[in-house]
Amino acid sequence: MILTGLLLLVLALAGAPLFAIIAASALLGFARGGVDPMVVVGEFFRIADMPVLLAIPLFTFAGYLLSESGAPKRLVRLSNALLSWLPGGLALVTLVTCALFTAFTGASGVTIVAIGALLYPALQQAGYEERFTLGLLTTGGSLGLLFPPSLPLILYGVVAGTNVDRLFLAGVLPGIAMVLLLGVWCVHRGRRIQRPATFSFREAGAALAAAAWELPLPVLVLGGVYSGLFAVSEVAAVTALYVTVVEVGVHREVTWRQLPAVMRESAVLVGGILVILGASLASTNYLIDAQVPEKLFAFVTTHVTSKFTFLVVLNLFLLVLGMILDIFSAVVIVVPLVLPLAAGYGIDPLHLGMIFLANMQIGYSTPPVGMNLFIASYRFGKPVLELYRASLPFVALLLLAVLLITYVPALSLLLVGK
Amino acid sequence: MSLPSSSNGKVFSLVRRLEEAVLVGVLAGMIVLAVTQILLRNVLGGGLVWADPLLRLAVLWLGMAGAALASREDRHIAIDTLPRLLPPRARAGVRVVTDLFTAAVAAVLARHATRLVLADRTAGAAAFSGMPAWVAEAVLPVAFGVVAWRYLAMAWRHARELARRPG
Repeated sequence: MILTGLLLLVLALAGAPLFAIIAASALLGFARGGVDPMVVVGEFFRIADMPVLLAIPLFTFAGYLLSESGAPKRLVRLSNALLSWLPGGLALVTLVTCALFTAFTGASGVTIVAIGALLYPALQQAGYEERFTLGLLTTGGSLGLLFPPSLPLILYGVVAGTNVDRLFLAGVLPGIAMVLLLGVWCVHRGRRIQRPATFSFREAGAALAAAAWELPLPVLVLGGVYSGLFAVSEVAAVTALYVTVVEVGVHREVTWRQLPAVMRESAVLVGGILVILGASLASTNYLIDAQVPEKLFAFVTTHVTSKFTFLVVLNLFLLVLGMILDIFSAVVIVVPLVLPLAAGYGIDPLHLGMIFLANMQIGYSTPPVGMNLFIASYRFGKPVLELYRASLPFVALLLLAVLLITYVPALSLLLVGK
Repeated sequence: MSLPSSSNGKVFSLVRRLEEAVLVGVLAGMIVLAVTQILLRNVLGGGLVWADPLLRLAVLWLGMAGAALASREDRHIAIDTLPRLLPPRARAGVRVVTDLFTAAVAAVLARHATRLVLADRTAGAAAFSGMPAWVAEAVLPVAFGVVAWRYLAMAWRHARELARRPG
């Protein structure tokens, strides 16, 4: 049993698709327990039994369509008009646009490609240091993961069995805390950079008008869910339709003929996530049959006595996990194991979600796996190591944010009323 | 000989087109049906009974079609850091092993999925609103079969690459 486990681990590190690794462990586990391995396929079918999952393809499509249109440009222009008069203005513009955009595209690397291309030359021209600029854009690629309607939030809700509406609320303050922390650093580093002396009402008005069609989107998502009028999947459907009408019908920046290609792209991401989810449903089921969560709980409680220590250990574990696994696989595989543990120490599942995702976000910008590093390296033509060094101050600030989120549960729970 | 060879190219382009048609059709249909359902529920006070289960099923179909497509484009989620560091020849060798492993797992899944479909067909199980369970499940054996086939073809490609490069 240990031997097969090791073999699967080696295969995983050798680059075998994770869905195959997880499915293999479930198939072998059930077969060893004398259960018909057909149940593994039955678990895959449970994907068709989870209403919230509908939101994932719909939001993914909306996000990809937005990134193919001129929306990123309009978003940058608008935040530029509103923020550029501040010290470190353009850096703040980068933070805000990255965060808003990532919330819609789910940190799949689209942000660095779409926003980075626009802001990298602008930041350099404005006189920001090269290293600061690269670090900002690299870490910015996953900023905003905690804001609705980000995919990792929805996936956590599905796997943990928590209400996605409430998760959307819980993410707001921790997300803002992250942006603010990084914002202070941006203001500090950008204080000597030349900036437009005053706020231009004219440009602000023009930028607002240009983005008029996209402005209702955050209102639609937040308002729709928070007012309780719509379910998350309904908001996703309306968002997908609205974005299609606006970008294809009104702005005409994406043609009807290009639409299937955008759908294809989003389906590849959704398919990649869902097969891992399906396989994990089966492997989790096997782990529960084998009473692994109980054994893990017994083991951990004998070694870790206080909630405080547990949180320290949890953070360390999640940081390492985030360095190895991408956020989607990590949520799907690890949350079912960590959830009962955290509950044993009296940690709210919503709070745990914020801790989990905030840690995973850091993993995007750390070696060896950090996806942001590779995408930024490809996009800006810089070696991965240089980008890593550039990201260090930002990663340090994100770590600070993680500590804040971990030890101040109120950040996550205040808006939910807990 | 190359895999997929030109002699059965028609079959492959058919699979490919079918896959794309499923993707685009299902996603577009999902948006339209979900929005219609919202309108019906809020204007008429009641929606279509079969719409919600059908939408949930569509997620599975879209996901499986997407997984098949991800296999064609070699874009499944994987930890690919270590292989990236290897020299090209070693990397091709590792790929042959991981491709064959993935093809085998997908083939086993396809086999059990076929059993599930056949069992539910014999039993006459229903999924919802008169939709037989086996029809709803049919996407699983097909998609896993395609995934298995594609990883087999990929293993073949990497093996040829391995053979071409001098040691």
